[in-house]
Amino acid sequence: MVIENKVDLTKYSDLAHLFRRAGFGINNQKIKEYSKLDYEDVVEELLNPKYGNPEDQDLMDRYFPASVEARSPSHAIPQWSWRLAKSEKILEEKIALFWHGLLAVGGIKLDHGLEMLVEIDLFRKVGLGKFRNILQEISRSPGMMYWLDNQNSHKDAPNENYGRELLELFSMGINESGEGAYTEQDVKEAARAFTGWASRPTPFTFFLGPFPMEFKFDPDDHDDEEKTFLGETGNWNGDDIIDIIVRNRVTAEFICKRLYLFFVSNNENHKEIQKLADVFQATDGEIKSVLREIFLSDHFRSEEVRFKKTKSPTELVFGTTRLTDRVTIPDMDSAELAAQTTFMGQFLLNPPSVEGWHEGEEWIDSGALVERINFVSSELSHHDSPGIKRMIDEVVSSNTNSSPEKYLSSCLQAMGFIEISDRTKSILVDHIEKSNKKLSEESLAYEIFTLIGSTPDYQYC
Amino acid sequence: MISYSHTIGIASDEGRGFMNPVDIVLDSENLIYVISRSLSTLKRVRISVQTIDSEFKHEFANWGTNPGQTIQPTSITIDHLDNIYVSDEFMHNISIFKKDGTFIKRWGEFGNKEGELNRPCGIQIDKENNILIVDHLNSRIQKFDLDGNFIFQFGSFGNTEGKLNYPWGIYVDKNNNIWISDWRNDRIQIFDENGNFLDLFGSSGNEKGEFNRPSDIHISEKGNIYVSDWGNHRIQIFNNDKKWIKTLYGDATISKWAKQFLAVNPEQNELRNKWGNFEEEKRFWQPTSICSDTHGNIFITDSCRQRVQIYKESQENK
Repeated sequence: MVIENKVDLTKYSDLAHLFRRAGFGINNQKIKEYSKLDYEDVVEELLNPKYGNPEDQDLMDRYFPASVEARSPSHAIPQWSWRLAKSEKILEEKIALFWHGLLAVGGIKLDHGLEMLVEIDLFRKVGLGKFRNILQEISRSPGMMYWLDNQNSHKDAPNENYGRELLELFSMGINESGEGAYTEQDVKEAARAFTGWASRPTPFTFFLGPFPMEFKFDPDDHDDEEKTFLGETGNWNGDDIIDIIVRNRVTAEFICKRLYLFFVSNNENHKEIQKLADVFQATDGEIKSVLREIFLSDHFRSEEVRFKKTKSPTELVFGTTRLTDRVTIPDMDSAELAAQTTFMGQFLLNPPSVEGWHEGEEWIDSGALVERINFVSSELSHHDSPGIKRMIDEVVSSNTNSSPEKYLSSCLQAMGFIEISDRTKSILVDHIEKSNKKLSEESLAYEIFTLIGSTPDYQYC
Repeated sequence: MISYSHTIGIASDEGRGFMNPVDIVLDSENLIYVISRSLSTLKRVRISVQTIDSEFKHEFANWGTNPGQTIQPTSITIDHLDNIYVSDEFMHNISIFKKDGTFIKRWGEFGNKEGELNRPCGIQIDKENNILIVDHLNSRIQKFDLDGNFIFQFGSFGNTEGKLNYPWGIYVDKNNNIWISDWRNDRIQIFDENGNFLDLFGSSGNEKGEFNRPSDIHISEKGNIYVSDWGNHRIQIFNNDKKWIKTLYGDATISKWAKQFLAVNPEQNELRNKWGNFEEEKRFWQPTSICSDTHGNIFITDSCRQRVQIYKESQENK
């Protein structure tokens, strides 16, 4: 039945919005289940996922042994693809995706799928915790140390690569003029503090497959002389540098800006980001607290930001797959889903550079748009999938002799309370009017779902 | 009683070597047939043929859906004429080849009715030259003649005696009893040739006699029972009273092919030596299947290490 009660409609719509941002969308059936809880309780449930293997992880490992030993990102990807398609702990996967793009380690140089999976798992475990801890952990990630050349950073010859990216890309950022709130000397001092932090030599994946990479600290190769970093002088090591970085207001603003752009909108809102930075500082940099502030804010729930964020390829692919509910066991289809994101410009486990991906509107160019629309059309054409069947039942049962406007409204609700522009609505209503007498109700619903999936509006969440 | 012999293997998607070897069988001339499961999305699966002394012969059943090709080959067995049978979990069928790799025919259809298959995995030919298939998503074992004509079935989903939960490996003993690695129930179950439940052993865990997703079961010439304790990355050996006698964790040495590779790639050898964790290098990583020959050799596919570890049962225990 079409939801017309305004209170219910608002609640369902709010929940759908929350799940599109905190996860990868939600189907109408689950919205109804969650609607029994207060919105605030749903937010808490999302923020406090329990850690553990999802159902059928054993089956994943059985069917895809090559993804267990994961010699390359391409070999590893079925593992993450399965979690993205099926995990109930969706914010855990979403925050892993956020950190994967921000603290980016690229497979081109590392080429060690096993280590990439370890890194994603690290983000699942610590990604909602204190930013200090996240930086400490990633600075002990052998993959990161290798990727940014820190195994070549020695007491008598520091390599500045990690120290520079730590400041420029991972924590404090730079302004449009390319200037940071730190000096070139701070970069050099940070590099000195991280000397001796490295990955142990690991055999090439050829000839037995990969072995787990290991972090190694060599005290003999560490510069333990006094350093002055961001105006503070002491015998700093890497953890001290991180501590100083995290206390800085600029770091709070940078991380909150990135969280805002990832979870809220393509466009910065300075006032909102400052509020988030206040929370960041008041909670000693706890990401969970910042996200709680985001999800509970009036701004997040307002029309100002709703459907104003471009779906990343991962959000588009796994959001649509979760809608159709087609993936039931780890099979070839689920393994190949991540390949679809690659065609759209997001090769998971293999970011293009240490900068990660350029997000927002930059996701969509003419080539990517064709891939995106084709994928959604193809996915929605699986008429025998449980999700499509549920959607059809819902639309058909609620639309005997209803107006084209109501028919469209029920299709949009069935697809997870999607909102579209008046212009798109008008085109689709015209189409329904013309098709109404030619097609069965089921066939018309299939057609409208596919058309909605092909609209520019569907590219946003 | 049992000692490590040597290792065959090196990572390779073609020619000599394996990529994620998941099953193995020997023909009457002791040629070794190994399924390389690889990553099916990368289209690199195959069956390779070699001797116990690492002499590569040929390969077949490469990636594809056409007759003679496979997508997710899972298990391999051989009949009295040395014809090779391969189950494919993706295509839900059985393909049959001559020992030189020439395709003969294939049969099997997807479904859950009598004679239909849903992700067939372990296969074995019994004394009457019928083929038993672990039809694992249908939670049953089906018997067919070698032309694919259905004979009978037994088993259903569950965790009580005789019930199955994602079963994988199968072995038919000298009495035509059927041993099943009941994978997600973490146990081995034994049925008579008519599918009547006889016995079971094992439970969930990582202690002696406990299993974490056992993938295969095999009985050697001497009557020792080998279980590939896949999730615990080990092989457990039991006597014919099903009492635990030994656990193998892997003893791999550098294979002949790997030695040749390292000799011409000294930088890889140097990095390996700097790493120096040779104990870890020996260990099994998801050992998947086991078979043996009449000379007391025990072959174990080490699926995540691209090799077959070979052990030998000594003569005095005969």
